[in-house]
Amino acid sequence: MPFTLEQPKTVREALQRLADPTGGPSVPIAGGTDLLLDLDEGRVASTRVVSLRRLPWNTMRWESDRLVVGSTLPLARLGTDPAVRRRLPGLVDAVDAVGSLALRHRATLGGNLGRAAPASDVVPVLLALGATVRLVALSGHRDVPVGQFVRASRQTDLAPGELIESISVPAAPVSSYVWQRVRPANDVSQVGVAVARSDSPSGWHVALGGVLPAPMRVVEAEAMLTQPNPSEAEVEVAAQAAARRASFVTDKRATESYRRRLVSTLVRRAIARALRDEASR
Amino acid sequence: MTGKLSLVVNGAKGRSISVPDDERLLDTLRWRLGLKGTKEGCRTGDCGACTVLVDGETTLSCLTLSHEVDGAKVTTIEGIAEDPEGRRVQAAFEAEEALQCGYCTPGFIVALTGVRRELGSEATSAALVDGLQGNLCRCTGYLAILRAVDRVRDGPP
Repeated sequence: MPFTLEQPKTVREALQRLADPTGGPSVPIAGGTDLLLDLDEGRVASTRVVSLRRLPWNTMRWESDRLVVGSTLPLARLGTDPAVRRRLPGLVDAVDAVGSLALRHRATLGGNLGRAAPASDVVPVLLALGATVRLVALSGHRDVPVGQFVRASRQTDLAPGELIESISVPAAPVSSYVWQRVRPANDVSQVGVAVARSDSPSGWHVALGGVLPAPMRVVEAEAMLTQPNPSEAEVEVAAQAAARRASFVTDKRATESYRRRLVSTLVRRAIARALRDEASR
Repeated sequence: MTGKLSLVVNGAKGRSISVPDDERLLDTLRWRLGLKGTKEGCRTGDCGACTVLVDGETTLSCLTLSHEVDGAKVTTIEGIAEDPEGRRVQAAFEAEEALQCGYCTPGFIVALTGVRRELGSEATSAALVDGLQGNLCRCTGYLAILRAVDRVRDGPP
């Protein structure tokens, strides 16, 4: 379906344009690498597209121990930043898993989160890291944990007239994301597993992607990981707990039972990767 | 809706052209500017045949709205040889005969030029190949392409 493109330069103007029904239903666009396909196929029936690319959100900065990423920052910028690589290796793993380099020059963190694809590589790691989303509306701001923001496949807590301004991610030098898929750059993950170790309170976070109804933390697995350096037996119990807890779909990419086996394997690999990375520093 | 925009394509500032709001850079290049070297493959961002450089960065022109890159510098396969790095990549593909049907070749050459610029002259073959993960060769002629990558890695003779 044809659409018109609006390119506001200020946040206020963008919010006003999205709130104004004149000219038909509108949708915000950031990188567009996912939304444009849905517009082409008519899965999103908007006749007005409001671009966020001229807003001052193409930014990232550290606020003490948190990385604040503007919602329209291209993913490629995160993957190449030395401080991000050191302090948030899991986030870099996940960002590097999204499409190809050319796609990541355009695709954004806010767009990936806002589109809430069931197999998103970014959402699981944001869950494991305990990230929060800052939303902005004409009436003001609100901060929402990623776990509450993503409700189900393609469903978020974003209210009409609201935009994702930034994502705030606490540093986690011991973190990783691992995935399985058929081709690296031209397919989405069958399953993805993110882990992060936090010092206060001490413990591990484990999150899964490619599961139903949406990417999720698995507290049952986390409860089994009581040590900063868990034993092989502990990791095994946690991996099994994660595989038992999650629900999976059978689709063209993988069967339900294959996904379940993948989860336990990937939990083991993710923890090993995070610890190996720490040991090599 | 249709609006005016102008692009600096292959170093030449073009005249202002009228382009529909929802047109992709791929279509503007091919059908308005007559630059047919940039290919349409999947149109879903998976194959890399439409890769161009926008302000020096590898970009999938099939997923880029032309109006969003108004005023940008765009390099297509037609202009790649004016870039010394692009000329080296092109020469490496020639030397290795790294093409079969040739449909993916413009995308590969433009992408490798951009990736090499982004990663620098110290980039390993593995890193360069990683930057080409989004380029598919439907003839599966990857071995010659990998040899061309090695040649590019080794730099000027």
